[in-house]
Amino acid sequence: MSFLQPLMLAALPAIALPILIHLINQRRYQTLPWGAMQFLLAAQRMSRGYTRIRQWLILACRTLALAGLIVAAARPLAGGFLGLAGGSRPDTTIVLIDRSPSMSQVNGGTLSKREAGQRQVVETLRKLGSEHWVLIESNRSTPRELNSIDELLKLPEMGPSSAAANFPRMLDAAASYLENNQTGRTEVWICSDLRANDWDARNAQWKQCRDRFAAFPGSLRFHICAFRDPAPENLAVRVTEVERVRGPDGAELAVSLQIERDATSDQPLRLPLQFEIAGARSQTEIELADRQFELRGHRIPLDSTMERGWGRVSIPADANAADNEFFFAFDQPRTRRAVLILEDAETSAALRLAAQIPPSATVECEAEVWQPHQVEAANWEEAALVLWQAPLPEGRAAELLKSLVERGGQVLFFPPHVPASTSFLDVAWGQWQEPDHPAVPTHWTLDQDLLANSLGGTSLPVGELQALRYCPPQGELTQLATLDGGMPLVARQATPNGGVYFVSTGPASTDSNLAANGVVLYVAVQRALATGAAALGKTRQITAGMGQEPVELAGAQQLAGSEDAVSADYFFHAGVYQRDERQWAVNCAEDEGQADILSDEEVHGLFEGLDVSILAGEASGGSSLVREIWRACMLGMIVALLAEAVLCVPRAAKPQDEKNSVFRQRQERQAVLREMQTTA
Amino acid sequence: MIASQKPRRFLDTRVLSRLASIPLFSRRPMQGNVSGKHMSPHRGSSVEFAEYRKYVPGDDPRRMDWRAFGRTEKYFVKEFEADTNLRCCLVVDTSGSMDFGSGETTKLEYARKLAGTIGYLAVAQGDAVGLSCVAEGVVRSLPPRRNPSHLRTLFDLLEGAQATGPTQLIPTLHELAETIRQRALIVLVSDLFVPPDELHDCFQHLLFRKHDLAVFHLYDPLELSFDLRRPTRFVDMEGGASIFVEPTEIADRYHRALEEYRNKLRSAVLEAGVDYHEVSLEDDYEQVLTRFLVGRTRGKGAS
Repeated sequence: MSFLQPLMLAALPAIALPILIHLINQRRYQTLPWGAMQFLLAAQRMSRGYTRIRQWLILACRTLALAGLIVAAARPLAGGFLGLAGGSRPDTTIVLIDRSPSMSQVNGGTLSKREAGQRQVVETLRKLGSEHWVLIESNRSTPRELNSIDELLKLPEMGPSSAAANFPRMLDAAASYLENNQTGRTEVWICSDLRANDWDARNAQWKQCRDRFAAFPGSLRFHICAFRDPAPENLAVRVTEVERVRGPDGAELAVSLQIERDATSDQPLRLPLQFEIAGARSQTEIELADRQFELRGHRIPLDSTMERGWGRVSIPADANAADNEFFFAFDQPRTRRAVLILEDAETSAALRLAAQIPPSATVECEAEVWQPHQVEAANWEEAALVLWQAPLPEGRAAELLKSLVERGGQVLFFPPHVPASTSFLDVAWGQWQEPDHPAVPTHWTLDQDLLANSLGGTSLPVGELQALRYCPPQGELTQLATLDGGMPLVARQATPNGGVYFVSTGPASTDSNLAANGVVLYVAVQRALATGAAALGKTRQITAGMGQEPVELAGAQQLAGSEDAVSADYFFHAGVYQRDERQWAVNCAEDEGQADILSDEEVHGLFEGLDVSILAGEASGGSSLVREIWRACMLGMIVALLAEAVLCVPRAAKPQDEKNSVFRQRQERQAVLREMQTTA
Repeated sequence: MIASQKPRRFLDTRVLSRLASIPLFSRRPMQGNVSGKHMSPHRGSSVEFAEYRKYVPGDDPRRMDWRAFGRTEKYFVKEFEADTNLRCCLVVDTSGSMDFGSGETTKLEYARKLAGTIGYLAVAQGDAVGLSCVAEGVVRSLPPRRNPSHLRTLFDLLEGAQATGPTQLIPTLHELAETIRQRALIVLVSDLFVPPDELHDCFQHLLFRKHDLAVFHLYDPLELSFDLRRPTRFVDMEGGASIFVEPTEIADRYHRALEEYRNKLRSAVLEAGVDYHEVSLEDDYEQVLTRFLVGRTRGKGAS
């Protein structure tokens, strides 16, 4: 509970007045010789239960009445989350708004979680009297000072977004703002639905944020306005693959998609699916028997002249409109070109085969092999993948590779025969190591990247690989597969675009059984090739807000999507955008459809050591999170006074009865006397 | 008739003169030793006819009713009621609680007025009067005498009585019931702070001994109203433990206990046929005595 006039609480010791008066009264006793002790003793014996505590109840009522009066004068605010300490106004209020698609969920009312949260925060801050506000919204995660708290409701940047929130990044921005500004007493208000994917509890940045907040010299408190209400019967559609193919009747578009159902029941559900390809609509009906539905290779006829275009898939409206449609762009399949820079002939054969053999008849794959000194002769403009088995590039070669990666290309490095001291993107090769027994992978990443399971859920036979010798890369890498002993088999260097991978053993038979096994090597090479080709193609699928924002996207033309999106923010809004001959289909992140929500314990764990309170926001209302409850205090005081009055009422009017009785006897006696006098 | 020239604080000559016109009667036959105003259990020579009895040899022939013989030809002796005097035993409670008085007078003072006046009136009409001051036992005792000079001793005894010590009224009354000769008028003046059940046994014992029992039950107005506001430490006047209470807190239970006691006491006196008078110290003792005396002239108690 917080108070608008906390100084009034200084009068709280006055609630002891009734007790003091009682004690003083007890000291003022009189001593009286008394004959009728038997009645006093009998009265004391009758003092049981209620009669014994009556005096204490009266004292308690008087104390409560005084407390109610003082607390009411202090103008208390109710909300259950502000804590007792924060009585005065904060000097600075930082507001973190989660604009992720899940916050567009509407439960019952007309307001989405995001809109309700914004209004509630605005009303609350207005009531608390804060004077300096800083906004950090989830798209840009850049602190922005507000002139008025009402701007939270008016800014165009506060609208819905398709990008997932990144709370570690937002809190990092808040920490930086605190460090760079004299914020004084600071409160951080967070408005979110606590989705696990947005909060990313495993992110190492949390610890750094905690440490930075803990080091903040002033008063710092966190208030989390949590909108946990699940979306009832929510459906989310997501296109997993789009391919322009040639069918028996001409050009067709093969669309594969997934529908996830966040349902409390498993009742079968018939659902119309609507496809729109360049303005032409078609519809098909599916039946959801489970919580997840997958449609593969759904063929939609295309105009034979249409080689490139865009489309969308939509499902009927539900609680969360953000995941009801998915945009995609397609193009004539382009040749997947791989450049192999190899210093070993034996290696050359295996890698060339892996890069040349197309995964399907509709895909064309080409591979060109060059010696390390012939790097500049390769076709870098059309290369989607580079397989590099030579000392790490330097100079011009390194520039060419970095340029490829920035454009979205992929690079797989294999260790050279003699590792040199050169490095690429802060990664260098270590020394060759030959274990006594062949090293085998103990664990690898199953859900994403090169070694992920197949669409059917079957894992790759990575465990069958054996490394006779390996040369571990040195640097800060994310391991995708780890050998026994903890050494990486496959590792990835983080880059804004593209992909840079390091494989710690070669395909030569003296190094490993990568070539003999074949499957893992082929799948990894083809996946990298497909990713690189997709990134370098004229159409591109983008996850909103993820990775590096394409420079050309800011000035692109919107072909489909939300009309509220401003051109500077196309990267964060689902839709289809075009500039020159390139098209981008932007959609929300895949894990945005996951309904995992952090529990209170998990949130407290993230803010361990910090002053944090969690409030359950009302998704259907926009009223303040805090309310003045002085009326309730006054009511409590009146109730206490009434109770005290009732308790103080004498239980029985015996003394009056006695007086009446004596009076009646006197009347009788006087009547007797009058009779006697008459007789005399 | 003033037995002593020494003024007594508890006697008011004007009250005595006014009350002298009302005789003190007993409600039951008394066994006196001289002629008086009260019924005797024996036949006597008063003018009030009692009954006819068959003549037996030895009877005085002068008492034969010749008219009855003329009508029935049988010898009958005509008998008349005998009038005698009574022995009035005044029993005054002098326990510590009798020293209580929230007003101008204490219970003992009031008891002196009642006992002294009744004693004077009884002697004035030729009855014998005795006095017993009781507390833990019979503290002081004066046997009944009917000569006026006896009054001085009685008044001296009354005047010198001190309210002190605990109450042992129950065994004392049993003792008096046995020691006082049968058929006496016993006037008890007390605050009766004893269990009513035990008091009931005492009354029955006295009645069994054919005594005529009158009780003046003294209350102080404060004891009835219990109108105390401040926290009070009540000191037992009969030597018991003190009690510290908030009077306003226990007033209702005090009155409940008091009423329960009074109800039981009323039942006890009704069952025993005791001439019971509940007296508040605020009451004028002349009116109390007038009511007492008039009630007896009408042949019944005032309770």
